[in-house]
Amino acid sequence: MAGIVCRIASRVISSQAACSSVVAVRHSHWFTSVLSLKTSMPLRAEPKKKKKVDPRREIMMKERLKKKLKRLEKVPPELIPIEDFITPAKCFDETRIRDAPKLCFEESERRALLLKEWSRYKYSQHQTEMDTINEALEAQRQALDELKLESEELYKAALSPDMDLFPFQHEGPSYTPPVTNYDAPEGKYNDVTRVYTQ
Amino acid sequence: MAAPFNRVYRPLWRIITTTTLNKVVRNVSSTRRQWSAGVASPWALHGAVCLQRLPVVSQDRSPIEESFIELMRQMELERSLLSDHELRLLEDAARMSRKQEEDYDSDEEEEDYRDKEIVTAQDLEDIWEQKLKQFQPAPRSQGVDEKDVSSSERCLAESLILLVEKDVGSQKLWLLPQIQWQTGETLRQTAERALASLPGADLKATFLGNAPCGFYKYKYPKDIQKEGGVGAKVFFFKAVLSSHKHLPLEKKSFAWVKKDELQDFLKPEYLKQVRRFIMAL
Repeated sequence: MAGIVCRIASRVISSQAACSSVVAVRHSHWFTSVLSLKTSMPLRAEPKKKKKVDPRREIMMKERLKKKLKRLEKVPPELIPIEDFITPAKCFDETRIRDAPKLCFEESERRALLLKEWSRYKYSQHQTEMDTINEALEAQRQALDELKLESEELYKAALSPDMDLFPFQHEGPSYTPPVTNYDAPEGKYNDVTRVYTQ
Repeated sequence: MAAPFNRVYRPLWRIITTTTLNKVVRNVSSTRRQWSAGVASPWALHGAVCLQRLPVVSQDRSPIEESFIELMRQMELERSLLSDHELRLLEDAARMSRKQEEDYDSDEEEEDYRDKEIVTAQDLEDIWEQKLKQFQPAPRSQGVDEKDVSSSERCLAESLILLVEKDVGSQKLWLLPQIQWQTGETLRQTAERALASLPGADLKATFLGNAPCGFYKYKYPKDIQKEGGVGAKVFFFKAVLSSHKHLPLEKKSFAWVKKDELQDFLKPEYLKQVRRFIMAL
């Protein structure tokens, strides 16, 4: 009702008033008339319901984003490739295949007999090793029995674990004996190992 | 600490199976003695150390191992693929054969190989062989006389045991270093003391555990037996030599021996017990 009254009033006033100043202002649709009531489009529209809808809409947006993130995260992580298991392409090159050699009868016989000899040798080596170990264990067991007969306390002390023994370190045999007073040179190296992150 | 004399009185069968011959050549029959005494017989306890110098250098291969290694290398070569170097050798050989042919057209060759000084793969191989001939590998043994038993640098490829010459009764005997047990210490401490008490030797060793690895029992000769104590029990503890200063030990009293040389030094009964726990693989 108020809006209709405004419009009629503005038409009446505008038709009567001087046109020049009003025409200049009329270029923009926002300015209906200087003389009319200052009612611009946004003012004439309904007031925004800021109380409920906007917070709800924002909450909805956030939930949708979170759901999308969860879907993305559910994808299983890419496995780190084990470089040892990937055969390099060089090995599949056909030009590299070697011709199988033709062995004469004596050679194949010699090979077969040597393999059998080796198996016998390794078997006997294993037997001697196991016998030596069992002998040593038996000697220790008997020593402990004798100690038990002697004194119970010493026996218990012998059975108690040795805390200082481990970690145990010993340099094994090398091909040549170590040089006395050897000054090893300091070496710089570029570490080119590929590091993968998940 | 429990002293030996309030210990149990051992059954008959044990005495029969475990008595050892006396050091002095008297065969003492133990059964009568043990049964008759109502009290348990006292044995003096000794702790001894079996100090091993582990091998420093790897062993040489036996003939069968050598031939087997050769065979394995050959078979591996036969089953392998051609390497870059071998491919290059084949290419060079093919190119040479093409050059020898009558209708050889040098323009057909690739850009890289035309009229240039090429180092063939065969040349490279020759260069490498020359270098190998000039290489002098380090000597495997330290140059110590192998028969000199007092040096710990002999026989680097095998493990050596330390022996000490000691006066026992009226005789001088070669033994593993041992010392009498005192009340208030464990047998392992006795063994450590035995090692530390060796004159003039600065030997650092790691003892392998608290338990003894073997034992040896012997009886005193009859005349000493009356004073108290039937005999002695020696418990051996294993130790590994970790480091030592290369001080020359007194030649006469110390010896570093391999397992098969032990029989030249030790008495038979003692040797029989000691060999059981010394492993020379």
